[in-house]
Amino acid sequence: MQVFRSYFKILRSNRVAILWNLGVFMVLAVFFSTTAPETNEDMFEPTRTRIAVINRDPGGVLAEGLEKHLEQVGQRVFLNDDEEELQDALFYRRVQYIAIIPEGFSQDFMEGNEGKVETVVIPNSTMSYYMDMSVDAFLNTARLHNVHGRSHTQTDLVRLVLSDLDTHTRVVMKQSGVSTDSEPNYQYFFNYCAYALLAMIVSGISSTMIAFNRPDLYMRNRCAPIPQRKVSLQILAGHGIFALACWSLLMILAMLLYGRSLSGSGLTLFYFGNTLAFTMVCLSIGFLLGDIIKNHNAQTGAVQVITLGLNFLGGVFVPQEVMSQSVLAVARFLPSFWFVQGNELITSLSDFSKASIMPVYTSILTQAGFAIAIAAVALLLRKERRMSQFA
Amino acid sequence: MFWHVFKYRLKCLLRDRITLFWTLIFPLVLGTLFHFTFGHLTSDAEGFEAIKTAVIDDESYRGNTPFQEVLQALAEPGRDQFLDLVIVPAEEAERLLDEGSVVGVIRVGEDMELMVRRRGIRQSILKSFLDTYSQTMNTAQAIAVENPAASFEPRLSFTEEISFSGAKPDTNLGYFYALIAMTCVYGSYWGIRNTMHLQADQSPQGARRSIAPTRKTRIVLSDTLAALVITLGEVSLLLTYVHFAFGISFGDQLGLILLTSLVGSASGVALGNVVGTSVRGDENLKYVVLLIANLTLSFLAGLMWAPMKDMVSQRFPLLGYLNPAALIADCFYSLHIYSTLQRFWINIGVLCLITVVLSLVSAIHLRRERYASL
Repeated sequence: MQVFRSYFKILRSNRVAILWNLGVFMVLAVFFSTTAPETNEDMFEPTRTRIAVINRDPGGVLAEGLEKHLEQVGQRVFLNDDEEELQDALFYRRVQYIAIIPEGFSQDFMEGNEGKVETVVIPNSTMSYYMDMSVDAFLNTARLHNVHGRSHTQTDLVRLVLSDLDTHTRVVMKQSGVSTDSEPNYQYFFNYCAYALLAMIVSGISSTMIAFNRPDLYMRNRCAPIPQRKVSLQILAGHGIFALACWSLLMILAMLLYGRSLSGSGLTLFYFGNTLAFTMVCLSIGFLLGDIIKNHNAQTGAVQVITLGLNFLGGVFVPQEVMSQSVLAVARFLPSFWFVQGNELITSLSDFSKASIMPVYTSILTQAGFAIAIAAVALLLRKERRMSQFA
Repeated sequence: MFWHVFKYRLKCLLRDRITLFWTLIFPLVLGTLFHFTFGHLTSDAEGFEAIKTAVIDDESYRGNTPFQEVLQALAEPGRDQFLDLVIVPAEEAERLLDEGSVVGVIRVGEDMELMVRRRGIRQSILKSFLDTYSQTMNTAQAIAVENPAASFEPRLSFTEEISFSGAKPDTNLGYFYALIAMTCVYGSYWGIRNTMHLQADQSPQGARRSIAPTRKTRIVLSDTLAALVITLGEVSLLLTYVHFAFGISFGDQLGLILLTSLVGSASGVALGNVVGTSVRGDENLKYVVLLIANLTLSFLAGLMWAPMKDMVSQRFPLLGYLNPAALIADCFYSLHIYSTLQRFWINIGVLCLITVVLSLVSAIHLRRERYASL
């Protein structure tokens, strides 16, 4: 058991790096999962775009009516009529749409000399399309009444228009099965697990391997009166236990943070299985890296590049659905892609029939395949080198 | 003598491959990842596409010619296509909805009905379209009742898109600004490296250089200049790379972009100098302090989440002005988005002030240092 014990001694001396990664993960996970909106799915409610309305036609009753209508459709954010402030707000998406009602708009409109509402938008965005529709709905209705002489004052007109616009189409929310389509907070958590697992396991495992692979140490161990097979087995056991420990830690964290909603969904075991498959991938990567890399400085760099690369390209930080097709085509060759895919499939499981669960298993098995393939490459390289070392 | 020291310092620093990795290769890799994951994000995620919709093909749909005409006009392929329409029997429509191949299903009737599976902007647009259709029909009917001879003109568009400066409000640029800011601030790793080789109690080189018959100010200045030159070179490389490889535009004011890079790099090197001289402890501790400082500054400047910078300057304006990374990112932002340069110059001014203060602090720590024993 000496090898096994020294394994954890080495690990302990690297605890700062491992805990640091855990800390960064926890900050990120808590930060992002609390900022993700939690929505009630039983009722249909229209999406409320964040808008700013700048009314440069004070006293215009029609303009006020339009303001009121837009407030009902969108979620109004109050901003000053200041160019820089408006630009800042739009760039950072505090608002997604700015409508500017020009001076004298109401009066001109009543006289049949209809002006236009100026909009500052995210070009071609869906949100701006939606809000444009709302502005047009109000003003076209107003125009209809106005042209046909149904009202003579602005107050009358606004009253008529607002009552007309109070028409609501019935919307049926179709639910099928156990889960809803919204992305629950814990999905973000499980996706971010990819970051934590990779960073912790890869750096932990490669650190110990670098230590055991130091040439002088390795040669001394080779002539120790303990069979090489036992040494390897004990190191392997160390890897396994360490990886499992990291995995359990994160799963306990998941239960602590989201226990209630998770157990309600009935999907816990699927998430755990998917994460476990990815843990195996991390183990293999750590194993491969630990064999290739000789010193700690190169290791920290490699761990960061591998971790960030797999996470970014696999769709951990940015949802896969919004990534470009060409990048996704390449990402299919990365295990993190299948991990995130697995999480998404699990979240959208609507029943537990064989047909719906199959894709989840495919993702999990693909990751297992990656783990085996990477481990095989590592073993092959190791054998090759050992042969040349002592030839 | 100054240039002699400078030359060897430059060589010495450039041979430090690890720092070179973190200050040059790492930002390049991060920039590449940024580009591939969300370089196109704004246009794809927020961009409007014709909404995939199913209409149930039944008696009431076939009987409602006005609605059919409206749908047909909206589904006309082209740049303004609003709906991507399929007209199918009820079961088929529900299947398409379950599969996710359509956003919503419209059932035509006395009152229209919309079936969806989730909330979202596209669903809201569909509802809004149906609302407007029904409401316009009602209004028109009411008018026709009063005045049977009334004729109706087509609907007009009442909105006109304007832009304050012609710059596209693409939030993702914020990530690249923060990345450049990070690279500038990472100049601190060169700064701290220098201080390790300047203080007699930190390294054998420091001890040797302390007794060399060269004036300390001269050594410090040439060391700092070497670090600055390297950092500026790295930032320029990154700018060139993201500009030419990924088409990220920083505007056409090249002189001001270079000025920002220079002042930003200087603030980074100064930060490293301060941590290297004023944090008491061994090399590891100093590096940990610097790492945490760099990450915090970059995080607050929007490296992990671009709107962070805006949030900080909204809620804690002072914090925004004390963070060199946020100031650098804001310089690039101001150059891109504003038509005036007022905010840019304020940022540069504050950045210079921070650099001077940091340099003074490290100078106080460095001068007349005496050691009881080494």
